[in-house]
Amino acid sequence: MRVSSLSSFLQGVKLMQRIQSTVYETQEQISTGSRILRPSEDPIGASNSVTFREALSRLDQYDRNANAARTRLEYEENALGSINRALNRWRELALRANNATEPVESRQQVAIEMDQLLKDLVQVANQTDGNGRYLFAGTRDGTAPVTATTGGFVYNGDQNQRLIQIGDSREVFDGDSGADVFFNIRNGNGEFRVLPNTGNTGTGIVRTTTLVDPTAYDLDTYTLRFLDPVNYEVRDSANAVVTTGSYVDGQSIEFAGTSINIGGEPAAGDEFVSEPSRYQSMFQSIQNIIDTLRQGTSTQATRAQLNSAVNNGIQEIDLALENVSEIRTRVGIRLNAIDGQLDSNSGASLLAEQAISELEDLDYAEALSRLTQQAATLEATQASFARTQSLSLFRFL
Amino acid sequence: MADLLNTATSGLLAFQRSLDVTAHNVANANTPGYSRQVAEFSTVPGQNQGNGYVGNGVQVSTVKRIYDQFLSIQLQTAASGQSRLAMMNSLAGQIDGLLADPQTGLSPALQSFFNSVQDVSNDPASLPARQAMIGEAESFLQRLKSIDTRLRQIDGEMNVRLEESVNEVNRLATSIAEVNNEIVLAEGRTGQPPNDLLDQRNRLINELSDLVSISTLEQDDGAVNVFIGTGQTLVLGSRAEALGTVPSDFDPTRRSVVYRTPAGDAPLADAALGGAIGGLLEFRGAVLDPSRQSLGETALGLAVAFNGQHQKGMDLYGNLGVDFFDVAAPTVLTSQQNAGSGSATVSYGDVGALAGSDYILDYDGASYSLRRADNDQAIAMTGSGTVGDPFVAGGLEIVVSGSPAAGDELLIRSALDAAGGLSLGLSDPQAIAIAAPTRSLVDGNNLGDASIGPTEVVDITDPNLQATAVIEFTAPGTYSVDGAGAFAYTAGDPIIVNGNQFAIEGSPEVGDRFIIEANIGAQGDNRNGLELSSLQTTGVLNGGTVTINESYASLIADVGNSASRIQSNLDAQTVLRDNVESSIAAKSGVNLDEEAANLIRFQQAYEAMARVVAVTGTLFDTLIGAVRR
Repeated sequence: MRVSSLSSFLQGVKLMQRIQSTVYETQEQISTGSRILRPSEDPIGASNSVTFREALSRLDQYDRNANAARTRLEYEENALGSINRALNRWRELALRANNATEPVESRQQVAIEMDQLLKDLVQVANQTDGNGRYLFAGTRDGTAPVTATTGGFVYNGDQNQRLIQIGDSREVFDGDSGADVFFNIRNGNGEFRVLPNTGNTGTGIVRTTTLVDPTAYDLDTYTLRFLDPVNYEVRDSANAVVTTGSYVDGQSIEFAGTSINIGGEPAAGDEFVSEPSRYQSMFQSIQNIIDTLRQGTSTQATRAQLNSAVNNGIQEIDLALENVSEIRTRVGIRLNAIDGQLDSNSGASLLAEQAISELEDLDYAEALSRLTQQAATLEATQASFARTQSLSLFRFL
Repeated sequence: MADLLNTATSGLLAFQRSLDVTAHNVANANTPGYSRQVAEFSTVPGQNQGNGYVGNGVQVSTVKRIYDQFLSIQLQTAASGQSRLAMMNSLAGQIDGLLADPQTGLSPALQSFFNSVQDVSNDPASLPARQAMIGEAESFLQRLKSIDTRLRQIDGEMNVRLEESVNEVNRLATSIAEVNNEIVLAEGRTGQPPNDLLDQRNRLINELSDLVSISTLEQDDGAVNVFIGTGQTLVLGSRAEALGTVPSDFDPTRRSVVYRTPAGDAPLADAALGGAIGGLLEFRGAVLDPSRQSLGETALGLAVAFNGQHQKGMDLYGNLGVDFFDVAAPTVLTSQQNAGSGSATVSYGDVGALAGSDYILDYDGASYSLRRADNDQAIAMTGSGTVGDPFVAGGLEIVVSGSPAAGDELLIRSALDAAGGLSLGLSDPQAIAIAAPTRSLVDGNNLGDASIGPTEVVDITDPNLQATAVIEFTAPGTYSVDGAGAFAYTAGDPIIVNGNQFAIEGSPEVGDRFIIEANIGAQGDNRNGLELSSLQTTGVLNGGTVTINESYASLIADVGNSASRIQSNLDAQTVLRDNVESSIAAKSGVNLDEEAANLIRFQQAYEAMARVVAVTGTLFDTLIGAVRR
């Protein structure tokens, strides 16, 4: 075949350029550490790596979210611990106040300590999460949730909880509203509450109350009235007689599915009123006892009033303690969920990173040996080009 | 002896001519497109001397160009194909790296934006977090704009390139016509081929075939006629026609190629052009526009979905959310051919239904119809095109106006300009609507243990959305709303009141109340924030199946695939062109060794001839000497 001198020259140059471009491409791969320099080199790989990177960034964000939620839940857990301690202390004080041998001055001491406990409790309820947001205000967390007014304790928050996304399909609450923790607690025994009429002249004390037949209980208000120290009758809110009987100290009186144990010596005309339980804050429960304690116990009758009130108060605080421990359990479950999700997120992150690495990362051993080979080819091509171009018949003329 | 001298002289002249030709070859060894030339010898016919014909020497009958017409036609085809792909490849290379780059790509900015939404959801009252979200939204838009601007620049450069290329075609056509004329004259005058002019014309034709696909036809008088497109004459003998660029029917900023005739401009189909010009137009249609369309749809998917959710939320001032992103309405372009004055106002509806193409709205004299601009597929429209009842089709809502004439067309750019038309709708961090507009609560006097779940806005247009509503149980299993009605209660079933949806669970007692009210003061509420950040993983495009990031990833894959396909086609076509070029070089190229050998050959022949002249002299001397004696 004929060879055109110009074309053989140009061909040689083109060849060298082609090899040079592969050398530089390999070099670029090595210096960037990346297999894909442009999406066109592996369109599917480039597009997948965008998807994996998005997943990775999302997982990182979930971790941030989870840590933020955890910090707040730990604050809450801490606060719930304080509430628990305060309520237990209060319970001890209440038992002491209930003791018949306790002197009057000591009861006043108890009242003072209870008052201090109440103030502490309100303070805990108004705690912030370190960012200045109130822990127990629901989502109205810019306002202190609890204020004490002359009319009682007011909740300024809402009943909402905030969800935090910690995984692709996993959200946790990062707190509980004050309504759930402090306010929406049933008074009495949780079903109904029995208190003596303040005008009672006897020494009848409400010891315990229980719901024995939920289906028979109709949430009506019942009045237990002693016709004389032995006989009593129970009327419902329509003033119809529900039951009558004769009183024996320590023997429960049952009507409408409820059972009331009254002790002491009620006088004729004494009344005990049973009302369905309503929502009442734990602060109010404590305040009620403090108020009763402050009224003094000068007579047998007022002491009986105090005993009934404290008995009821202890029931209410037990419900509050139960509520707090239930919420603590929930917080614990959430913290566990966060830990579990953080583990699972880091597993998923690792997988995504591996996938990205497989898609993008350069096999250095392969790339370096490729570079060596390409460089050798280039050198050989350059040498042979110089050699062939120096061949000319004209040199011999 | 005179014969001998004549013969020797003819040899001297012929070999001298050959040496000239060889020198010309050597001189042009590096001239691109030069075809080597060969002096063709023929014998001068002999005369009958009675005892036979005695030859009269040699003559150069012609100087021939070594040239294969078929190869050069092959080269024209290969060159057009290769130039078309080379043009597309160089353009595709410009956007290939643009999209996926971690620094300039859109995806990292999109992720940062959504991460900032989650940061706000974690601490909705935090102004720094809200400020950061606005900042991330801005940098996302900036990233989006810089990609869109680059694509627009490439689009703008196309017009310039197109015009330059068309001017170049016209210049080459004129040159070819001129050379045709010279060749015809030269051949007519001498009957000999004007080799160097022929080479020059070949070079011009090759240059032309780089720009546009051509076919050529050689005439008997030596002229070559050149045709382009679907057979339009570009050069006929010594006359050249011209191409031009005109603004396209719909969009004056886009030029298309026409064939200029005295009767007016005739449009040339993009597909028939080929060459670099064809490559430009094909790149615009097959890569650039779809990329901008897809980028626009991605941007729209985010903006429209985000706005929709943002409007369902409440900001820190207690107002309902406004548009977070400002979305420019789709561009409507009127055809220059329209006789009527019809126009349309278009807005976005369900962006998930966008079809990935521009639309053309046709008016047939009685009614409107919509079709895709790329494949003319019809798209069914509902509605009547009025403000109250717009046409709804393909993700758009169209309101028509004016008085169109039959056959009028409007082009609707569904998403092509969307990425560039996006901006931030709010700059006040407190105006970000992270909270839900309403909340639910259990009345403090309830005797039952029923609870109420969070509210969810299902109808943002309800005028009483944020009005306080009281759900009161009037009987076991029956409730009233604001004291009216008697609705059956099923625990856990969704209840919708004033555009809010919620559920009540448990067993409420008679007289129990649940309240829905405006969520005023709930600066820590993140319910709408969670909905906003969930858009990152929710399908919002392509009928709700494709997430925003997936849409962007598929754009990267599409552009990458196009670029890689163009590259591999280009490689194949380049090999083809190289093969044809080396075949031509093998046949027509100058080989210096060959020319050196020829020099020796003709020099030796020349010397031999000179020796014959010397012998003639000696013979003459011998004869004179014999006579003198």
